[in-house]
Amino acid sequence: MIGRATAVALVAAGVVLTATALVLPWYSTVYAGGVEVVVRAWGTEVVNKPGDWPAGDLSPWYGVPVVVTVALLVAGVWVRQAALAGSAAQVGAVAVIAALLVSERGHAVEQQGDFALGFGLVFLVAGTLVALVGAVAVQREAA
Amino acid sequence: MKLLSAVLLAVAAAAAVAATFLPLSELFIRLAPDQPQTAYVTTGWSTYFGQTKDEHGPLFAVPVVAAAVATLLGIRWRKVAYAGAASLAGVTGMLFVYLLNAISFHREGNITIDPGLEAGFGSGVWVLVTAVVVAFAGVLVHPDD
Repeated sequence: MIGRATAVALVAAGVVLTATALVLPWYSTVYAGGVEVVVRAWGTEVVNKPGDWPAGDLSPWYGVPVVVTVALLVAGVWVRQAALAGSAAQVGAVAVIAALLVSERGHAVEQQGDFALGFGLVFLVAGTLVALVGAVAVQREAA
Repeated sequence: MKLLSAVLLAVAAAAAVAATFLPLSELFIRLAPDQPQTAYVTTGWSTYFGQTKDEHGPLFAVPVVAAAVATLLGIRWRKVAYAGAASLAGVTGMLFVYLLNAISFHREGNITIDPGLEAGFGSGVWVLVTAVVVAFAGVLVHPDD
């Protein structure tokens, strides 16, 4: 049985890991000619962008929903159920990123690109799991 | 209240699963002035450009169905329903961010090819948003507290 202090510490660790994930690269693909597409929480960066790159950048702000879930995790210090909502929502959000990741990797392999995971995604997954364990423990401790 | 909660949670789960089969985003474009419109449609299970399937299209249906299952299990336990509804909200929120940008990309990237193109969210997104609202309504009236 995890006590409340440990459970809250786990949620806090999840917040720190997730916050770190928001400033690190999530994944990248290197194509022929050294063109590298780096996906981050706050947009996609294209390194060595060629002139014929498609108009309009696919640069979603994945960080927005994550910031909302982190806010809920922080609120969980005072409102028990907020941490559960934040961690569960973060699991859902990260699962969408996982679906995108598999798709992007498939496209990269098809186009003979070099696909690589970034530390940001590792931190995001770790932060999500740690926060979830902490949030569930907070609920069990309260029961 | 138990029955009402069960019905709401079951409807939310069914709506979420149904949403995966509906279009999430759509682009209708004429690649040449004399050609009929070509549809570029993403659902939870596939992405098609005309008749051509993207073999590596993202399977957004997987997280949606997982969240729907959690929501359905919540008929028995309120906290599970709460977590299920929250995860469904998380899936929907991240999906919305992705699709919003993809639609903008479709529009900006192709407007010179066909100024009359149509790009936007599909009905699946609105069904998913409705499922989230109904799921939280089911949590609110859940008697297991």
